[in-house]
Amino acid sequence: MPLKEHTPFIENIPAYALGSLDAEDASALENHLKTCNSCRSELTVYRAMSEGLLAAIPPKSPPASLRRQLQSKLPSARRLSPQPLRWSWNQFALAFAVGVLVLLNAFSVFQMQSLQRQQAQLSYQLQSEQTALALLSYPGVKTLAINTDGITGTLLLDEDRNAVALFAWNLPPLPDSRTYQVWLIGAQGERVSLGLFHPEPSLPFTSFSIISSENISNFVGLGVTVEPSGGSSHPTGTRLLTVNF
Amino acid sequence: MKYTPAQFSGWVEYNGYMSDLEDAKLAAQVTQGDEKAFLALYDRYSSRVHALTLRILNDPMMAEEATQDTFLKLWNRAHLYLAERGSLLPWLLTIARRVALDRLRLEARRPLLSDADDPDEKWQSIPDGNTLSDEHRWRSLHFAVQSLSAEHRQVIELAYYQGLSQSEISETLGWPLGTVKTRLRAAMQQLRREWDR
Repeated sequence: MPLKEHTPFIENIPAYALGSLDAEDASALENHLKTCNSCRSELTVYRAMSEGLLAAIPPKSPPASLRRQLQSKLPSARRLSPQPLRWSWNQFALAFAVGVLVLLNAFSVFQMQSLQRQQAQLSYQLQSEQTALALLSYPGVKTLAINTDGITGTLLLDEDRNAVALFAWNLPPLPDSRTYQVWLIGAQGERVSLGLFHPEPSLPFTSFSIISSENISNFVGLGVTVEPSGGSSHPTGTRLLTVNF
Repeated sequence: MKYTPAQFSGWVEYNGYMSDLEDAKLAAQVTQGDEKAFLALYDRYSSRVHALTLRILNDPMMAEEATQDTFLKLWNRAHLYLAERGSLLPWLLTIARRVALDRLRLEARRPLLSDADDPDEKWQSIPDGNTLSDEHRWRSLHFAVQSLSAEHRQVIELAYYQGLSQSEISETLGWPLGTVKTRLRAAMQQLRREWDR
């Protein structure tokens, strides 16, 4: 090959050996190298030189910790150490779906329990009302009006059967930690518990009915107080209403 | 087989042919999954690899990561090393240079090196039966680089240790492309005179 044609290529060999030749020139040189033995020999020398340049830097030891780090990445170390939990997208999506299902189920259970509680309360309310209606039809049943601090209602008293039915409007709703407790009031001021009730927030009135084991005619009145959930042995909380027989 | 970690301080003595034979044997054992052989190669060459990555990256933390990546590549790609094509150390240093330059390019948001710069690709395309260098030549080359003029040293530094193309050097230094080409060629020719001596 004439020297004139050869020159541009041979001049680019040092830069090519260093990896610094621009792409277009590099491509042209590579084509030339396929057919030019002398340029290939020249490149061999410059390539050895460029490799020499990599080694021509005074050695510097890395910190000892690097060897340990590297060792920890080898298979024997990986077998000994527990594998970190790595989830694929599918596993992550599955876990998310299971999580959502668990939450939905928990919500459904909560909702069902709430409905059951509501149903039990409504059923109790219905029974109270039926008892009260039955009482009304009996002769000798006393009907007493309630009108205390904005709370109105009716108290039905059947002394023959020791039955009591209380209807009250606008009773303030209570938190779960509190309950209403009904007391019979004796002539000496003693109190006997008749029972507990909790107003249903969805209804505007509350009814409470009971057939007492006590002889009602021995008592002079009835009172309702707010007590801790579960009731008290004697009145401790705010008195809500009192009805004299 | 028992391996003794080499203790390096400053320049390491590279024992030429005997060392190459042992390197080839160790590399072959690494391909079989021999961790002791791998650590023996680490003990032998980590200071060389680390010096190069530190020179290129100029950041101890990044240099350590690049050194580690280089040896992990050796662990995973030892089967690609062909002893008949040349010594192990230059092959390993070529990998280290590429790893470090890729990190540098990532940091600078420049495109990574093309596969054409991959040491394995290079070896496949241009057979090289005479890359056996020795410690004396490398040391001479080191001093030859030190004796270059500031402009020539700078252009070698940017081309080889920073991985810039001639056009990028021209842009970086504000020199005409022709000047970059001339200075790079002149610097390499000067180094070659020392190399051939």
